[in-house]
Amino acid sequence: MERICHIDDVLPGTSIGFRYSPFGKDDIFLVNKSGKIYGYRNSCPHWPGATLPLRKDQYLDGASKYIVCHGHGALFEVDTGVCIHGPCVGSKLTALSVAVDKDGNIFVVNA
Amino acid sequence: MNIIGPDMLVFGVDDVALCEQFLTDYGLTPVGNGRFEALDGTCVELRQRNDPSLPAWDLPTANMLRKTVYGVKDASVLQQIKQEFEGEREVKILADGSLELVDDLGFALGFQVTVRKPLDLPAEVINAPGDARRPANVTGVPSDVATPIDARPRSLSHVVFFVPDIDKAEAFYTNRLGFKLTDKFVGMGPFLRPAGTFEHHTLFFIQTPPHLQGCEHFTFHMGGPTEVLSAGTALVNKGYETFWGPGRHRFGSNWFWYFNTPMGCHIEYDADMDQHDDSWEPRIAPGIMDNSQVFLFHWREQWAPGGAPR
Repeated sequence: MERICHIDDVLPGTSIGFRYSPFGKDDIFLVNKSGKIYGYRNSCPHWPGATLPLRKDQYLDGASKYIVCHGHGALFEVDTGVCIHGPCVGSKLTALSVAVDKDGNIFVVNA
Repeated sequence: MNIIGPDMLVFGVDDVALCEQFLTDYGLTPVGNGRFEALDGTCVELRQRNDPSLPAWDLPTANMLRKTVYGVKDASVLQQIKQEFEGEREVKILADGSLELVDDLGFALGFQVTVRKPLDLPAEVINAPGDARRPANVTGVPSDVATPIDARPRSLSHVVFFVPDIDKAEAFYTNRLGFKLTDKFVGMGPFLRPAGTFEHHTLFFIQTPPHLQGCEHFTFHMGGPTEVLSAGTALVNKGYETFWGPGRHRFGSNWFWYFNTPMGCHIEYDADMDQHDDSWEPRIAPGIMDNSQVFLFHWREQWAPGGAPR
């Protein structure tokens, strides 16, 4: 288990990305949906390795309802990672195991 | 048919304001009515997805590019195109005199007398041993940190489409509109140029399943590799996400740097594309990684060695 950040770093309705190398794209990202944290690998199932966000940490659509891949417009449900519109309908983002302790620290396994 | 190249791309998007900001950040100039121009007048036009003036997009894909408008040499070419297609498919004549029809893949096309203005701008000027192209005392980059490199998109370069049938696409553009095949990636797609240009390609098709059909990316020519790297760095510094690049393609030789966008496709900066005439023999090659790029780099934050080495 690796501590990634604190829950205050990713407010409800927002997303945040993290990378492990000094440059390149984020490896993983977290989304806070109504206080629950979801984590996914930053790799679109339509083109594995393709990065999702429009800008750093910007993984959600304007209404903060769906995760968007800003390569070809695929939309993904936040809580399941399932693509519901676009090039990879039915495919899923690779989910991470996420845990939040009583102090609000967010941990990720399988990152 | 003296078709010169793409003059304008028309998108129907969900978040118009976000797309307007993006195209401005990319370096196009907003000129009103949702139009964002490069230096030579070629442009991208943004409208709301449900705007009734847009050609229909009936396929259930995420594509937002609703119309590709080609510039032609003069009105006689419009007449040729009209005669080529009338009687077999609807050819609309719009109020501005341009034509509108749908290609064999279902994409809406427009044809107009080109708006491209000739540019009086030099390509990037390079010095090499025995061949110094810059005069003495003229620097390649600005001397002071506060002066940015002036790297603005010069001209709409090319559009790439995902299609379910690359042979059908190639046949339509070559047999019906007189495009030429420059090169081909086997099983992936053809690089095409209209007869009115020598550019390696203004159109590339990629074979995909039907549910992907739509625009993969579009790009504007920059003045050289330094402008690609400079404009790309500026876009990164505004927070935008690199998709692929910077690097240099093998077929076409053009420098590239692709970014994610809010428009359902990627955008690119490109430069120094090869030119070909009708004596060129198309290369046919596998679409493998080594054939798609000569080298590839990552952008990184600035760093420099400092202080005395220990």
